[in-house]
Amino acid sequence: MAALPVPLPPTKMAAVEKRRPAVAPAANFPDSGRTSVSQAAAAAESEEDFLRQLGVTEMLRAALLKVLEIRPEEPIAFLAHYFENMGLRSPTNGGAGEPPGQLLLQQQRLGRALWHLRLAHHSQRTAFNNNVSVAYECLSASGRKKKPGLDGRTYSELLKRVCRDGGAPEEVVAPLLRKIQCRDHEAVPLGIFRTGMLSCFVLLEFVARAGALFQLLEDPGQAVADRRVGQAVLDTLEGALSAGDMATAPTHYLEAGSRLGPDNLARALDRAASGRRPSVPMAREEFLEKAAALFIAKVKPVG
Amino acid sequence: MLSPERLALPDYEYLAQRHVLTYMEDAVCQLLENREDISQYGIARFFTDYFNSVCQGTHILFREFSFIQATPHNRASFLRAFWRCFRTVGKNGDLLTMREYHCLLQLLCPDFPLELTQKAARIVLMDDAMDCLMSFSDFLFAFQIQFYYSEFLESVAAIYQDLLSGKNPNTVIVPTSSSGQHRQRPALGDAGMLDGVEASLFYQRLENLCDRHKYSCPPPALVKEILSNVQRLTFYGFLVALSKHHGINQALGALPDKGDLMHDPAMDEELERLLVQVPGLVNSITATSEASCLPSRTPPRVGSPWKPLHRSRKLDAESDGSTEETDESET
Repeated sequence: MAALPVPLPPTKMAAVEKRRPAVAPAANFPDSGRTSVSQAAAAAESEEDFLRQLGVTEMLRAALLKVLEIRPEEPIAFLAHYFENMGLRSPTNGGAGEPPGQLLLQQQRLGRALWHLRLAHHSQRTAFNNNVSVAYECLSASGRKKKPGLDGRTYSELLKRVCRDGGAPEEVVAPLLRKIQCRDHEAVPLGIFRTGMLSCFVLLEFVARAGALFQLLEDPGQAVADRRVGQAVLDTLEGALSAGDMATAPTHYLEAGSRLGPDNLARALDRAASGRRPSVPMAREEFLEKAAALFIAKVKPVG
Repeated sequence: MLSPERLALPDYEYLAQRHVLTYMEDAVCQLLENREDISQYGIARFFTDYFNSVCQGTHILFREFSFIQATPHNRASFLRAFWRCFRTVGKNGDLLTMREYHCLLQLLCPDFPLELTQKAARIVLMDDAMDCLMSFSDFLFAFQIQFYYSEFLESVAAIYQDLLSGKNPNTVIVPTSSSGQHRQRPALGDAGMLDGVEASLFYQRLENLCDRHKYSCPPPALVKEILSNVQRLTFYGFLVALSKHHGINQALGALPDKGDLMHDPAMDEELERLLVQVPGLVNSITATSEASCLPSRTPPRVGSPWKPLHRSRKLDAESDGSTEETDESET
């Protein structure tokens, strides 16, 4: 019987944790020493104390609040991630005893900030803003420096990491980084930090969508699109983005939407395809770069 | 962004829908039971491992039945674990009795109720001849329906009984010439049920049930598909159709298609590796010859750990089946 090929839980601890006596399904906390009601009450009380003293109560409350704030699609996976990150944060909890070097510390801080930034999609604006503030605090609370605060170097580094992890080609995002970066020695206020992060995440999504758009346009065999067609789409996009620069926001959205509507786009594509002059095909990078440039032109430079 | 409506739900509903509190509570129980681990690994690590094991579905192993059936995810995880652990039974082509399958279930969940195993076996055997042998896949798919949709099936049984006894004003029970084998089956204990009920009427009631059922139920469209193929059907006829339906198995998402049930190369490899490590099982394994003897170690070796187990258990059941510990909940 002992040789049954039961799939082993991932860690030794998890294996132990599952071996729970099956005799007391009614009791909340099966405790072998418990025999009478009063003892049970005492045990429950001491368990509560135990949890409070260890900080478990506080820890779970914070985790639950985070779950409610972000409403992840997969809350259990989210919690696993959440606690994993928490474990990394406190070296006392099973971490190596050696104090990590400055460089490592900096990397850890960046990693933590990134984790917070990615917790919520930027369209969940309240949650995203909260996370940005937390990330900002993570980065500015550095023990090494005399004055707390975030410097331009760390900020630029973080922007680069966000873009790199976002999977957008470097040349596509470089113009944005140039626009929103600060100088290395400059102090970065929270407002700038927030705007920078937000534009970065929005651009990444924009580029991802542009990539999907290009996929529709491209020739399946050759991985390039007809230049006329590509240009027509880009022009339509540009027209939509520049629509009603003066107008108030809501009408602006409506107009942009209508300009990007299927019939408008179809007309542009039709016109482009009927044009006769043959042309060099357009590669994916070029398309993305041009599309991104349209967006980046709208971003106000920092400083 | 799969289900944006989750953002609009009240907090409580969101948590309940995803059973967040169930797992958090259980995590705390586990933590209290394993206090010594915390001092060694830290609390954050403990919770990380706990929630990771929930994601992977290994959290249900060796747990009490009340926990195993607590959420749909737990049920699916248990089905998957059962399949993965005892797949070799099916692979070897062994046929087991209901009691033997029950023993296997109890290896994963010590207090697994016999009643559920019996109900599953009844779907396969279509009668009360409960000591008949069943193939692994037949039992597994019947068990899946019975276990995963347990509450739903209870409601279905009640509806079926209602229809049979003519509580629905529209029902007309017409004795039809159903096949002889069905006649011998006193499954729900009512003489009228031998003839089954009218499928369309049955579906109307089930559709209603699916709408307001708070437990999991099979996709209504598939239930409709099953019921639209026949004029009349019996309760067990319906359960058999459910258990054999591809789409329902897919929607449930715990097990692969029937054809792929025995196909899991990664698991086979793992199994081989584990078997090699068991001392005494394979006598001539050394570190250097391990790779070279893999090809020769085909069915007989994989089967070997099972044969003695199977045979001895069978002898037990034959000699004095009545003294088995699982007997107390006999129907």
